[in-house]
Amino acid sequence: MTSSSDKQGTSRGRHRERSSRHFRTRRRRAAGGVRISVNLAPMIDVTFLLLIFFLVTTTFERAEGVFTSQLPRDAGVPSVALPISPIVVRVEQTGLAHDDYTIELDRFENQPATFDALADVLRAIHGRPGFDRETPIVIVADDDVRWDHVVGCWNAALRAECQDIAFAQP
Amino acid sequence: MRLNRDDARTDAALSFNATPMVDVIFLLTIFFMLVSRFSSAEQVPMQLPQPDDSRAGVARLADRVVINCRPADPTDPTGQLALYSVGPNRPEPLSVISDRLAAMRRLVPGLAVVIRADRRLHYAEVRAVMQEVARNGIDVLNVVAHVGEDE
Repeated sequence: MTSSSDKQGTSRGRHRERSSRHFRTRRRRAAGGVRISVNLAPMIDVTFLLLIFFLVTTTFERAEGVFTSQLPRDAGVPSVALPISPIVVRVEQTGLAHDDYTIELDRFENQPATFDALADVLRAIHGRPGFDRETPIVIVADDDVRWDHVVGCWNAALRAECQDIAFAQP
Repeated sequence: MRLNRDDARTDAALSFNATPMVDVIFLLTIFFMLVSRFSSAEQVPMQLPQPDDSRAGVARLADRVVINCRPADPTDPTGQLALYSVGPNRPEPLSVISDRLAAMRRLVPGLAVVIRADRRLHYAEVRAVMQEVARNGIDVLNVVAHVGEDE
């Protein structure tokens, strides 16, 4: 008894499914006469190609930025303003290794060992009477100092919010 | 009997659902399209300065010329000698580059110079370029370094 009712239910379900499929097909044909379908294969092909292109060409690198400076004109006009004594930062290479360098500040007792310390010392100097952010900073680097350290010095002065940074010959 | 077998086959038919794969591929493609930055030919590979907490900013310069300075011998850690080149061109003596700068300065009065120098080079090698730039009456000089991690 149970099995025959199950069979009946199953056959009814199949019949319903078939009829709905038939109805759907008829509706599609009736609406346009032509079956409309989107062929996704070319799009997937192009997407695959794009993916492979980007996978192959992408290299993750650190971004580059610039330190902008204005170069002095060689024919300068003599200034009538009182001379301001600049803060002189000397960078010297003490050995052949890249990190063998020293930083010295003229006329100041606090001598920074690193560029982080240089930024802190410059900030502290700005708090002293007679000094502020507009006090010129003159970077004097030896010929054999690595370019990395010169840029490090410049960056430390920018971190200390110095507004007038210049380079001078040793 | 035959009908039943056919139905069983239809029910057990294996199908491959490609939708999640296409979704993932789309996401990956969009990710790479967003993060890719096509490096300019002017950017000759070299080790740029990497200051701590870098304050190097992004500059949009319309009229600019890039001078690349890299060590003649990349294996030499002391960086004694430098090779100079304008953009992607082959290396040239500094005097030739100076003449080129003078010619470009005549054509473009507001010319800016960007110096891309290897971090291992001696300051004297880079200062020589800076002096040539100043001698040619160019006002704006930019020095390239890596930007900070947070940018």
